[in-house]
Amino acid sequence: MEYIILSMTLLAIGIYGLATKYDLIKLLISIEMITIAASMNFVIFASSLNDALGQAFMILAFSVDTCITAVALALVIIVYRKLGTLDIRELSKLKE
Amino acid sequence: MMLDVLLVVGLVVSAFFAIYLDEAIHAVLSLAVMNVILSVFYFSLDTPFAAVFQLTMGIGTVAVLFLAGEMLTTKVGTAQTPRQRLLGLMIGVLLSVPSILAVGHKITVTSPFRFPFSTALWELRAIDVMAQSLVILTVAIGIAMIFKEKRRRP
Repeated sequence: MEYIILSMTLLAIGIYGLATKYDLIKLLISIEMITIAASMNFVIFASSLNDALGQAFMILAFSVDTCITAVALALVIIVYRKLGTLDIRELSKLKE
Repeated sequence: MMLDVLLVVGLVVSAFFAIYLDEAIHAVLSLAVMNVILSVFYFSLDTPFAAVFQLTMGIGTVAVLFLAGEMLTTKVGTAQTPRQRLLGLMIGVLLSVPSILAVGHKITVTSPFRFPFSTALWELRAIDVMAQSLVILTVAIGIAMIFKEKRRRP
């Protein structure tokens, strides 16, 4: 239970990355960090309550997170092939 | 206790470096280190299934991200100097201080519901596991369709 602060720290680092970075791969890493922080709570509670159900939830949640990362990465590759940049500022300018 | 503190500091510092470092390859390598430390951390919490799953899925994700980072990014000229990296290390250690302070106050609660892992996954969450396999299949088909569409309209 005492590790909740650790998961909140990881969440804060992920949000910091989302707010300050402009590279799409860095943004993906930030999203990965946030999902790790979220699924970490399942393990922390499973450990402190001595209940295996939390581990099962963690496995289910982390599988979906990995699927999300896979789809996002596919979109990043398509964007790079089509537009030749991964900088979200330039991508925003292209929209105009 | 000492191992807990080392794991917490390593975890927070590697997580911070994964965001802080400018070069994508270094950031992805830092994410890999974070996944390995997290897996050891889960082992120390006596949750071995979560630890093995974190290690395998985390390293798989990192491998794909590494390839993407290697393919899609160029070396930037504005990478951090050793001094800036040292500053990043210090910020990471500072960020881990609240977690280190919390490690000293362990609270243990025993749940009245105790299931073995296999019961929890295959009996209580059987429908979720089936739905999960459908989600993974849908994602695989979706990614294949994205690339196929791209090939059709170059």
